[in-house]
Amino acid sequence: MGNPAGEAGFLHDEGVGVSEYLFEMRDIVKEFSGVRALNGINLAVRPGECVGLCGENGAGKSTLMKVLSGVYPYGTWEGEILWDGKPLHAYSVRDSEKAGIVIIHQELMLVPQLSVAENIFLGNEIRKFGGLMDYDAMYAKADALLARLKLKGVNVAAPVSNYGGGYQQLFEIAKALAKNARLLILDEPSSSLTSSETDTLLSIIEDLKREGVACVYISHKLEEVARVCDTVTVIRDGKHILTKPMSEMTTHSIITAMVGREIDNLFPKSEHHVGEVIFEARHVTCWDVANPNRKRVDDVSFELRRGEILGIAGLVGAGRTELVSAIFGAYPGRSTAELVLEGKPIKVTSPQQAIRAGLSLVPEDRKRQGIVPLLGVGDNITLATLQHYSHAGRIDRAAELQTVEAEIKRLRVKTASPELAIAGLSGGNQQKAVLTKMLLPNPKVLILDEPTRGVDVGSKFDIYTLMFELAAKGVSIIMVSSEMPEVLGVSDRVLVMGEGKLKGNFPNVGLTQEQVLAAAIDSAAATPNAA
Amino acid sequence: MQAQQVQQLFVRYKILALLLAVAVIWLFFHIKTNGIFVTPNNLSNLFRQMAITGMLACGMVFVIIAGEIDLSIGSMLGLLGGVVAILAVNHGWGTWSAIGVVLLLGLAIGAFNGFVVTKMRVPSFIVGLGGMLAFRGLVLYLTDSQTIAPVPDDLVALGQGFVPPRLSIYIGGLIFLALVALTARRRVRRAKLGLQQGALWIDVAKVVAIGVFIGAFVHMLNDADGIPIPVMILLALLAVFSYIATQTVFGRHIYAVGGNMEATRLSGVNVAGVKLAVFAIMGLMCAFAGIITVARTGSGSPSAGTGGELDAISACFIGGTSMRGGSGTVYGALIGALVMASLDSGMQLMDVDNSWQMIIKGVILVLAVWVDVLSGSNRNA
Repeated sequence: MGNPAGEAGFLHDEGVGVSEYLFEMRDIVKEFSGVRALNGINLAVRPGECVGLCGENGAGKSTLMKVLSGVYPYGTWEGEILWDGKPLHAYSVRDSEKAGIVIIHQELMLVPQLSVAENIFLGNEIRKFGGLMDYDAMYAKADALLARLKLKGVNVAAPVSNYGGGYQQLFEIAKALAKNARLLILDEPSSSLTSSETDTLLSIIEDLKREGVACVYISHKLEEVARVCDTVTVIRDGKHILTKPMSEMTTHSIITAMVGREIDNLFPKSEHHVGEVIFEARHVTCWDVANPNRKRVDDVSFELRRGEILGIAGLVGAGRTELVSAIFGAYPGRSTAELVLEGKPIKVTSPQQAIRAGLSLVPEDRKRQGIVPLLGVGDNITLATLQHYSHAGRIDRAAELQTVEAEIKRLRVKTASPELAIAGLSGGNQQKAVLTKMLLPNPKVLILDEPTRGVDVGSKFDIYTLMFELAAKGVSIIMVSSEMPEVLGVSDRVLVMGEGKLKGNFPNVGLTQEQVLAAAIDSAAATPNAA
Repeated sequence: MQAQQVQQLFVRYKILALLLAVAVIWLFFHIKTNGIFVTPNNLSNLFRQMAITGMLACGMVFVIIAGEIDLSIGSMLGLLGGVVAILAVNHGWGTWSAIGVVLLLGLAIGAFNGFVVTKMRVPSFIVGLGGMLAFRGLVLYLTDSQTIAPVPDDLVALGQGFVPPRLSIYIGGLIFLALVALTARRRVRRAKLGLQQGALWIDVAKVVAIGVFIGAFVHMLNDADGIPIPVMILLALLAVFSYIATQTVFGRHIYAVGGNMEATRLSGVNVAGVKLAVFAIMGLMCAFAGIITVARTGSGSPSAGTGGELDAISACFIGGTSMRGGSGTVYGALIGALVMASLDSGMQLMDVDNSWQMIIKGVILVLAVWVDVLSGSNRNA
């Protein structure tokens, strides 16, 4: 095992003693335009130790990973990172990799057309005189690395695309080892693996630990965390909640720590009448765009009542966004669905038809799908309803502006002028503009996909208030959200999705976050029961 | 806030910056040519030269704002010009029926390009390259690589004729009055709806400035032989295209599609339809340009319009259209065309060698876009 103690003498800071840790993050604070995504996070890893990092979606895990891997350069965040007991100032991913920190992302970063060896040494090639690739040396070393990972029968000269996801995950690890990684960060490494592939992966991590390689293991799959990790760190809302030896924790206590916050008065819940069934989606199925045999959503059916707020919970990748975009006619791949609105079957193959039928969708990714950045705030607000303010194709600017100003006032969108490019607004105000854009067509069913992602607390409150107002007026709302308190604070009923299937259907009466999370994480634990 | 205001100021003043650039170029050539550049006759010529590039630029600016590109327009111009010459000369068609057919043909070919881009999902760059070759080949085939001449006089008049001076004055006056009426109507309507108004003096200053501009323009060209008909057509197109861009639903959709296609699609806009229409309009503009080219030269040349796509694209970029789509103006593109035409005309008068003309134009194009990048107006998106 590497012992960093000997190098501690180089430290200038006398307050820091000999560190037992290979890697230590102290009081990390990262702000995005005034919103604290990370607020005093601590994370420490000893050589040969595996630390499990757990937190709900949006707790700040990926932000933390970006801080520690140098994606957010030194100086753009507060706090300090110690590596071998010395401050680490990484200005880029390259710097942190040079130090020995390698991150393996959830989406694999391999170039499919290049060979296994070329991928393993990508950006780190072994060169001969004159900058030529030393293929012999790379093949030999790649073979050795794969042998260390107990991978047999791999032709390192063949393209990566010849091998399946399980192999590719291990190639990523080999790539990290080729960079002499001493700290491996694995972000949801098993999300695309079968259970036997996961098993292999975990035993390899155990081997690496014995060789002194330290790991941070990020996963929603708590059984895996329990098996491979020595220590667990839980974060929530960008704050450090606890760090304890795994032996003192159970999957249940981890879940409790992940969600354990009080629902405060953020949710101005008002009584509203839930009426008859107004909308039905039956047998919604979506196939993966790249892999036509894989189902992203698998035969999901549900009903929605008038004035009801239906929350859809689940982990990232559970198929929630795919479900709602298929309903809205916006799913990019093949999808099938039978939709019934107010007793009549409706046919929706494009967002245009969906809006005409009375459905609206506020998409998940505001920047990519919500705003047209260069257009003014007003132009964005009226984009879906321009025909309302036009005669024979000519826009009645004055009528348009009248609507825009009324909407800006109603939703308290903070903008200096409706003509200002929307890109200049804060996330919350942009979101309000997108929301009002999709409300202007007067939908009967409003679908909100992550309506408060990246939105400040004040705007969140405004958005919730608006949702309750709409529900009281008889608009039915489907809300996809990864924020558990939001799901529980707003919904009348909660659907839980996991792996493309409906895993639970709970009336939101005495429903706890633990129940929802358990249904989402442990697919066997909950079976769909009638609402 | 302050940075935004500064940026807004820049965007607002873009037209002034462009006009300033034109003024500097004109002054430079005026001095270098010993005072023959800024004369009614030369400017009349210059505007006539710019008319064809300007027509193409009108269509191209929409294509680029929508986030696409069309490289086939030079060849399409040649093809459509060739067809009008063949119809009028070889088949003895009446000028107006030949023009009508060619305009429809341009619309159809443009729509076909748009169909390949939107429905068959071939990148527009490739569609343009293919069209560039295929259309040029087609016109060579149709004309047997021969120049077709002479075209009828009434067609030639379209390219070489002038609007009578008195009529020009009436038209200029009418445009000015229309402008005053529109501005007044907008203010009245806004006041009635209780919306906030821009300061009165700004509107008055705008109207006066445009009035002075129209007056000077008409007066100067009337000192020559009057406003050339192609220039009059271009001005009409400027009005129509500016109207489409700023006042219509379709125009708004063009900007939205180019600015963020996904968001626009999710707002229920038929994005493929918008793009298809933009390509169709581009084809129509090629027909206009092709007809005027034949009319100006009095013949249908199979090589007409070669390189026209580059001039039109350059004009758009010099005029501040964003490479990434989503922003740009019609008048900007036309001032861009004016810059290019001024450089051509000035350097010809100065007897600059053709090789140097190309080098200088190339450098100016890159410089102009660099300045635009520096000003930060193309950031985002």
